[in-house]
Amino acid sequence: MVTIDLSHTSITDANQQIRDWARDGQDVEIINPDARHNIGVGLVDPITVRIKGSAGYFCGGLSDGAHYEIEHNAGWAVGDNIYQGSVVVGGNAGAIAGVAIRGAEIVVRGNMGSRAGQVMKAGTLCCGGNAAFMAGYMMYGGRIIILGDAAEKVGQDMSAGEIFVGGKIKSLGNDTMIVDMEAHERDEIMEFLERYKLNYSGDFTKVINAGKKLRYANAEPRSRPQPFFVSSKSSNYWNPKVQEDIWIKGEVGRYRIRGYGASKPVPHLNDIAFARDVTTDAARPEELKDINLKTTVGGRFGAKPLSLSMPVMIAPMSFGALSRSVKIALARASRLSGISENTGEGGMLDEQRAEADQLIFQCLSGRLGWNVKDMQRADAIEIYISQGAKPGLGGQLMAKKVTPELAAIRGIPVGIDLRSPSRHPDVLGADDLVIKLQEFREATFHKVPIGIKMGAGRVNDDIKIAYKDGFDFVELDGLQGSTGAASTEVLENVGIPTLSGVQEAIDGLAEIDAGDDMDLVMMGGIKDGVDVVKMLALGASCTSVGTAAIIAGGCIACMQCHVGTCPVGIATQDPEHEARYDIDRQSMNMHRYFESLRWQIAAITKALGYDDVHKVNRGDLVALTPEAADITGLPFRPEHRDTRRPLTGLELLDRQAG
Amino acid sequence: MKISDADYQFSVTATPDLEDDTADIHYVPAPCQVACPIGTDAPSYIAYIWEGKNEEALEAITATNPFSAICGRVCDAPCEPACRRADSDGAIAIRNLKRYVLDSLGPGFALPPVAVTREQTVGIVGAGPAGLTAAHDLAEAGYEVHVYEATDKLGGMMFWGIPRFRLPEEAVQQDIDRMTAHCPGIKIHTNTALGDQVSLDQLKQQHAAVLLAIGAFVGKPMGIPGESEPFVRDGVGFLYHVNAGARPTLPETVLVIGGGDVAMDACRVARRLPGVKHVKVIYRRDYEAMPARREELQGAIDEGIEIVYNTQPVEVIDGKALRCVSTEMGEPDEDGRRRPINVAGSEHDIECGLVIAAVGQKAECEELVEHDLMDWDRVKTRLEGMVTEDAKVFAAGDGAFGGSTIVEAMYQGHRAAYYMKAYLEGNESPLPYRTPYRTRRVPICNDPAWEINPRVHQKFHGLGEIPIEFPEIESTYTADEAKFEAARCFRCDAETGSADYTVTSREAIFAMSRINPQDAEIESSILQGRLENRENPFGIEHVATLDDLVFLPANLSRLVIDPYREDCKTATELGAINSLKLDIPFLVAGMDLAPDEIRSAYAAAIAAHGAAYIGASRIGDNASWIQIAGKAADADADAVVFRAAQAIPFALEQEIDFLVLDAGDGLPGIEGELAGAPDISILNHAVSQLRALNREEDIDLVYFGGLRTGTDSAKILALGATAVIIGVAAALSLGADISSGSPLYDADLDAEDRAERSYNLLQAFNAEAAMMARCTGKTNVHNLEPEDLRAITLTVSHAAGVPMAGSLNRH
Repeated sequence: MVTIDLSHTSITDANQQIRDWARDGQDVEIINPDARHNIGVGLVDPITVRIKGSAGYFCGGLSDGAHYEIEHNAGWAVGDNIYQGSVVVGGNAGAIAGVAIRGAEIVVRGNMGSRAGQVMKAGTLCCGGNAAFMAGYMMYGGRIIILGDAAEKVGQDMSAGEIFVGGKIKSLGNDTMIVDMEAHERDEIMEFLERYKLNYSGDFTKVINAGKKLRYANAEPRSRPQPFFVSSKSSNYWNPKVQEDIWIKGEVGRYRIRGYGASKPVPHLNDIAFARDVTTDAARPEELKDINLKTTVGGRFGAKPLSLSMPVMIAPMSFGALSRSVKIALARASRLSGISENTGEGGMLDEQRAEADQLIFQCLSGRLGWNVKDMQRADAIEIYISQGAKPGLGGQLMAKKVTPELAAIRGIPVGIDLRSPSRHPDVLGADDLVIKLQEFREATFHKVPIGIKMGAGRVNDDIKIAYKDGFDFVELDGLQGSTGAASTEVLENVGIPTLSGVQEAIDGLAEIDAGDDMDLVMMGGIKDGVDVVKMLALGASCTSVGTAAIIAGGCIACMQCHVGTCPVGIATQDPEHEARYDIDRQSMNMHRYFESLRWQIAAITKALGYDDVHKVNRGDLVALTPEAADITGLPFRPEHRDTRRPLTGLELLDRQAG
Repeated sequence: MKISDADYQFSVTATPDLEDDTADIHYVPAPCQVACPIGTDAPSYIAYIWEGKNEEALEAITATNPFSAICGRVCDAPCEPACRRADSDGAIAIRNLKRYVLDSLGPGFALPPVAVTREQTVGIVGAGPAGLTAAHDLAEAGYEVHVYEATDKLGGMMFWGIPRFRLPEEAVQQDIDRMTAHCPGIKIHTNTALGDQVSLDQLKQQHAAVLLAIGAFVGKPMGIPGESEPFVRDGVGFLYHVNAGARPTLPETVLVIGGGDVAMDACRVARRLPGVKHVKVIYRRDYEAMPARREELQGAIDEGIEIVYNTQPVEVIDGKALRCVSTEMGEPDEDGRRRPINVAGSEHDIECGLVIAAVGQKAECEELVEHDLMDWDRVKTRLEGMVTEDAKVFAAGDGAFGGSTIVEAMYQGHRAAYYMKAYLEGNESPLPYRTPYRTRRVPICNDPAWEINPRVHQKFHGLGEIPIEFPEIESTYTADEAKFEAARCFRCDAETGSADYTVTSREAIFAMSRINPQDAEIESSILQGRLENRENPFGIEHVATLDDLVFLPANLSRLVIDPYREDCKTATELGAINSLKLDIPFLVAGMDLAPDEIRSAYAAAIAAHGAAYIGASRIGDNASWIQIAGKAADADADAVVFRAAQAIPFALEQEIDFLVLDAGDGLPGIEGELAGAPDISILNHAVSQLRALNREEDIDLVYFGGLRTGTDSAKILALGATAVIIGVAAALSLGADISSGSPLYDADLDAEDRAERSYNLLQAFNAEAAMMARCTGKTNVHNLEPEDLRAITLTVSHAAGVPMAGSLNRH
């Protein structure tokens, strides 16, 4: 047993010392904890940490195998996301005790705050006293035992798991019901209580999910998308697409769902041109090897930045929306082209980790597949606030895709229409986010860049918060960003275009003299090297491609990703459909696509007269449309529009044929 | 010589007189269409088949292909390996779908006849696919065409070279009949061989131009010792003999030498003839290198034929056996195929009673040798103009360019006809020929099973019950099977549903991912395409609609509401003075004159949702009713609306409760709303006027016009309305046909359907509006405000008075 005195040790140093002792199997005693946040975060050795006093936020969070004993009270989110291990709180615990646990035992001898056990997947959360409102809110599994009373909305929107309440229940949550308890359940509970020396001999009321909201009631009739309408001229206002939409809503009585992003035309990068004619120069680039494209992301506070061979990343896309094979192919292509891959929501695959040289691990509100071990083997962490396709909404994964394997990695029941929560249980505002960020830094020893992913909305304000909260990089996604499933209404109507997003971000950061130390990664409709260079010239430090990479790897853009029977084996979890996907061939196709991107970026950079892509700037751009000029403030130069019409299909083919 | 892929490339400039759709930016020819030498519009005919429109499908098929019935059975179908679905769960059965159309419409179907309109005539030697295709094109152009055929049958190799069990005589006849009915200007002269019955000089004298499509009917020898008849026969000669009706009895074991389609046909014919027990195909390369179409090869194997790979004949031991050596695959040759290398000491004899050598064909024609137009075994021809050394004499087909497929021969026929027309019209330097690409712009089929349907295989009958009668080896689809198969098409030709990932963008990304990244020339050409900017999607014709407004989502600066679960209030009070209480901010209009079934369905839905009806008469007993009054108000109404000009000052003066803004132009009817996009600026004007008077709180605004979704409605609420009226959308939810300018309701729905649909529409709209509110961080739809919106076009920014996304802080 060693002792660490927090009165003269920083939390980072203390956590480092705990880990060092833990490796030797030494238990640790913390004195003068003074309710400091993030005590014992990121511990993966099976020692015991005794806290002689009270702990602040996230005590014992993001750990696996360790035991924590807190003499007095614990703050917000005690035991956050623990896999195995335990936390015993001698006094009371604040809100969201046992949030997102995956097998841990959390015991609070006194009372616990609201939303206890939110999004927990497995393990036991036990409270000797009373629980505040919404105990078991959105839990996906595991067991909550409350010996005292439970306040309002017990089990609100839980998907699975059980809640046992010894005292009174003030009210039940949505979609829950009371059922009889089985004999063995009582025996197991009594065994548990005995182990933690909690005396109780009364009865329990058992609350479980009632199963009425786990699946959408009426299935939406399947339909293939109709071509988009070029312009909303008055003559086609009530066009066939609108008519079909209303007809189907009459059938299902709710919003419709599909994959991909906004389908309507919005102002975008192809309404901007280079200020000088690069077409001729780009046609004969003599030597592109000397053009610097190397890009680092995330070095703001001394973490090891991502080191990319060009200003391109692969966008976050989940195993879930996409098949395992596609995630492996993406990871391989990222390695071959020297860029980064991103897990998206839903966990890290071993094969993905092995294939990718640089892998970003994304943390979402449902904490699906989120865990400390994968955090510690990631090359960057990204906390998801929202995405361009459906900002303000959580993820959606239709039941067809929630297979046993997928459910296991995410820790959720099989075969539900999974709707992830849209906000983080432990982040209700910018101030919580600072502490959450600190927890991530502690769990990854301050060595890994930590970014934030947002869909573009009030970017001018949001970007300032992201900067002041201390993120290393921002991944900002415009209205055109795609997804595997979302309400069509949100896809088309919530969020601002990528072009507006980058401009507000640059303006917002300039207003607070932020300089360029927080890297800005732009995504949402980036298709080629032309888009990448324009984005960098507008002020982004890097870009991210998702849909285009998927198309390169065989997607035919039918936009039916949500259905789960993808004809080319991409957006599916059905083994028969996934078998259609050839990892070797498609990873090479993606690799070739990235190499084409590289070639294009270098060729344009050279044609613009630079030896480094990071030297391109706003002076290299003009706006071709009044909208683009208004949004970006670039000079309006319609005469720069190539007088030739857009490429026809034949010309395109001709060019492909060389 | 096989025509290489490179020769099929085309120039960017469209050639004259070419019906072609490639200038359409919403169309990129599909890979199957590009793979077809004659550019068959396969995606369109497949889509027509799904729609059950076989005649339209036939038009698409036959537009560039006069031998559609034949191709439906025996085309080597380069479209199928090119099909994008080939990589997933099997290519679309493009060939058999064609056969299905031709078989189902039958031989009776003909295209309208084309009259002869020109004085000049053309002579064509040879009635094979190249010669007849050229004849067809020239006849369609108005020329009288004389076709001279050495045999007594039309079709060339299609008739003489392909056995009847693959291609029955009726199928050939069907195409010939259709062509001659369509082109009465084609005059046929059978039993008229060049050099025997007619001379080249005669032809040149009689016709303004001559096309030599003489074919390659003479089998090449293997070139090894001991090769002589009757123990060794050539493949094409053997097939000719059998197709002329012969059914010779053959020895027990027959060897067929070669790996092409002739070898496949010869071995399968031999297998069906009396006396034969074993048929072996001897091929010097391996399976991968074998040129025969995989289906034919598999058919042969299924019929019990043995394929012996990597075996090279070296000597014929007459009457007894074929001496062979084994080979292994060496380095690639100049033609890109790996060269077979003989393995030393591997000689072995394969015993047999007959050897059929199918190792290639050549053209022979004494008459042309005398005119010095032959180059060894083919007619000396330039591919560029399809012309021989005699400017008046053109050539095409196997006789000019060596053995190829039917569809390649048709390509050459089209190509020759193109240059001959130019010659006849005195155009000395026509633009280079290229294959035309057309699309019929058929909508994508909406078959829910398109992703899952596996390829439907044709029923394979093999030898059949009486093999010597050569029954057909396979049958085509039933109508159901054809529809099932047609549903599988990816429709690579069609515009996508996304304005961002258009078909053009998608194909550019495909191209980027399939080229050699080191090839600067190709990279550069793709980049040139990507550097071109699109047309302004919001040009001068653009109308400001609600589509150009977006909501600002909550993120960090505003707390997110959980839209899947948290409640959002929608209760609505209309009227500052006398309030009408509703549960949702929706009124329904436009059903005053609708049939009773329609009215009662919506009356129930309105009552169930706590909405209201606005119109001249009450819709139902339980539904709240806002009367649009002519002269006198009905005492029974829950509220009354009067018409007025100068509405706002008047309304304020009269202490009116709410004002209806009729952007739909014509309440209580909805015909005005149907006419097109509403003028949404009406709301902005009203709000501005009230704001100027500082009376915003004194009157509620109710908006009508062009609302298609709950989202549209939410935008209107955010702009300042208290409630919205839906008209056309309500009609559409009951399946109204609006093409005539006023709603015609679907009579097929029953009362239950209508009740459910009315209920669902209001529910969906209300839920969508609530979802928008929650995405912005609001828990009451009436808390939506203009600040929650941004414009993405300047027109809507002005009309709605909402700032542009991205530029607010700079203005």
